[in-house]
Amino acid sequence: MNKPQDFDQYWKKVEDELASIQPAAERTELHLRSAPEAKVYGLKLTSLDHYRIFAYFCVPSGKGPFPVIYRLPNYGSVVHIPPFEERCKYISVALCHRGQRLSDQPFAAKYPGLLTSGIDSQRNYIYRSIVADCLRVMDYLVSCDDVDSQKISLVGGDLALFTAALRDSASVLFYTPSLFYKALHKATATQNYPLEEFNDYLRSFPESIDQISQTLAYFEPMNFASRVKSEVMLMEESEGDANDLAVSFARDIERSGSKHSSYQDGVVLAEWLSKKLQTGETLVPMHWR
Amino acid sequence: MNRPDPSDFRTQVTKPEDFDSFWDSILKSSDSIPLNATMTLDPMRSSEDVEVYEVHYDSLDQVRIAGWYCLPRNRTEPLPARVFYPGYISEPTLPKSHAAQGYATFGAAPRGKLRSNAQINPGYPGLLTENINDPQSYVYKGFYVDAIRVIDFLFERPEVDSDRIGVQGSSQGGALTLVAAALRPKIKAASAGAPYLTGVMDAVQLTRTYPYEEINDYLRQHPQNLEDVCHTWNYYDCINLAERIDCPIIVYIGMQDDVCPPETAYPLMAQISSSDKQLYAYDGHGHDANHHENDAIVDAFFDRLLK
Repeated sequence: MNKPQDFDQYWKKVEDELASIQPAAERTELHLRSAPEAKVYGLKLTSLDHYRIFAYFCVPSGKGPFPVIYRLPNYGSVVHIPPFEERCKYISVALCHRGQRLSDQPFAAKYPGLLTSGIDSQRNYIYRSIVADCLRVMDYLVSCDDVDSQKISLVGGDLALFTAALRDSASVLFYTPSLFYKALHKATATQNYPLEEFNDYLRSFPESIDQISQTLAYFEPMNFASRVKSEVMLMEESEGDANDLAVSFARDIERSGSKHSSYQDGVVLAEWLSKKLQTGETLVPMHWR
Repeated sequence: MNRPDPSDFRTQVTKPEDFDSFWDSILKSSDSIPLNATMTLDPMRSSEDVEVYEVHYDSLDQVRIAGWYCLPRNRTEPLPARVFYPGYISEPTLPKSHAAQGYATFGAAPRGKLRSNAQINPGYPGLLTENINDPQSYVYKGFYVDAIRVIDFLFERPEVDSDRIGVQGSSQGGALTLVAAALRPKIKAASAGAPYLTGVMDAVQLTRTYPYEEINDYLRQHPQNLEDVCHTWNYYDCINLAERIDCPIIVYIGMQDDVCPPETAYPLMAQISSSDKQLYAYDGHGHDANHHENDAIVDAFFDRLLK
């Protein structure tokens, strides 16, 4: 995948546009979801295009500042409240980007459909704004007194990588390549969604292949990796599955092949974060002990 | 401390005396509502070998429900069918790849899911506790009916062989699989992964993970309603519906599942009436229930019984 010549300017423009908009943060406790171990807040921020986004923002009981787990959203309309065990120990944040439930006014994303929304132009592609939503929360985190700004972790798919690349404030990144890594190449080998959305689009608009390839080049993880300064764990679909992505990082990274087990992969994540953020004993669900 | 053996677990679920009449009455209401089904071809989602239709039909409370229906373009004989039920937070499946293998396939979207949420939209979290104090107005009454009316839709389709319909799903999709197999006895085969809505009031004590945590949230705010919540769930729990399941069925679970605790699968299996039932319990797996490997078992199971 070629890196567009104006890749850095493209993202600089997004960052500049975002910086010109006041975040107008509002944090309101969601009493129904708070528990003795941690409070749950609804966080609202203004992002690109003056779009209002929502995130769950959970704070453990006790005295801060606290280390942070910021979970970037997966592909789908619903975002869960962060896991109980994380809420007990970390400021844990889960963003609902524009289009997802709780951030779906005025734009409610279609599934399938979001992945190709505006894809015929890199300026209008929906993920340009979604990445800005991710950055907006990151900027909010570093402004919070109860956050230990030396211990911010990012967890998730490509949106986590993009956030780490465009913001230096995260100390660690736990990254599982998702939608955009060799996207068109991988789409040719499947009929399953969400990647099938690319196939659907190209069947309908075969003449747009060059433009789509160009748009996706601005979102190719290999083009972001060299900008990441945080410590990285790369969780691969299987061992060696992402060799060319791994060598795109400027620094040495750790790698782990998925065991295709939410339990085993979850333990790897929890233990790695405990170690890197120096938070002592790893908390995991009862069934994982 | 070692965890007790999940297979020794004893459920607190009890069956209300009027359980059968409760469900017979709901089914009677459902049967009295015409489906008024519509099918609209979606050219963009269709491919060289599969036609994709967006389906809508009526369900309980005059709620209009959506779904994806996929058909192989190359068909001459009546087709076997597979219904895919969605998880609690996952989007309804658009099951093209199985249609390409010769099945009529349906991706269900019960009320509250995208495209079925114009009239009822409790959200996530929210769905699990919507009107939970009363079995008659609980949101899952309509939700379950939405799921079984997919089968009614397939019965009406001339391209489907109604003697060869299978149902499947994982997590909430596993629960809806059990519901459909229990309430539509003509179903030929069922596969339920990591079944949710099974031993519900047991599960809320075994895990702090959402979606079950919604009930803990609710009871922290309304502790006086515990008895009512238990009462409601005894009508909806899949353990109580399992007695009605008579078709061949496979259930697969992860022994380290923190979302749908494996303990709850054992009383479920004990209650299923079918003599052709198989539990796959995967040590080293969580809520994924080892679907990565088990999917091949599921496909072979349906191919054997439906094709």
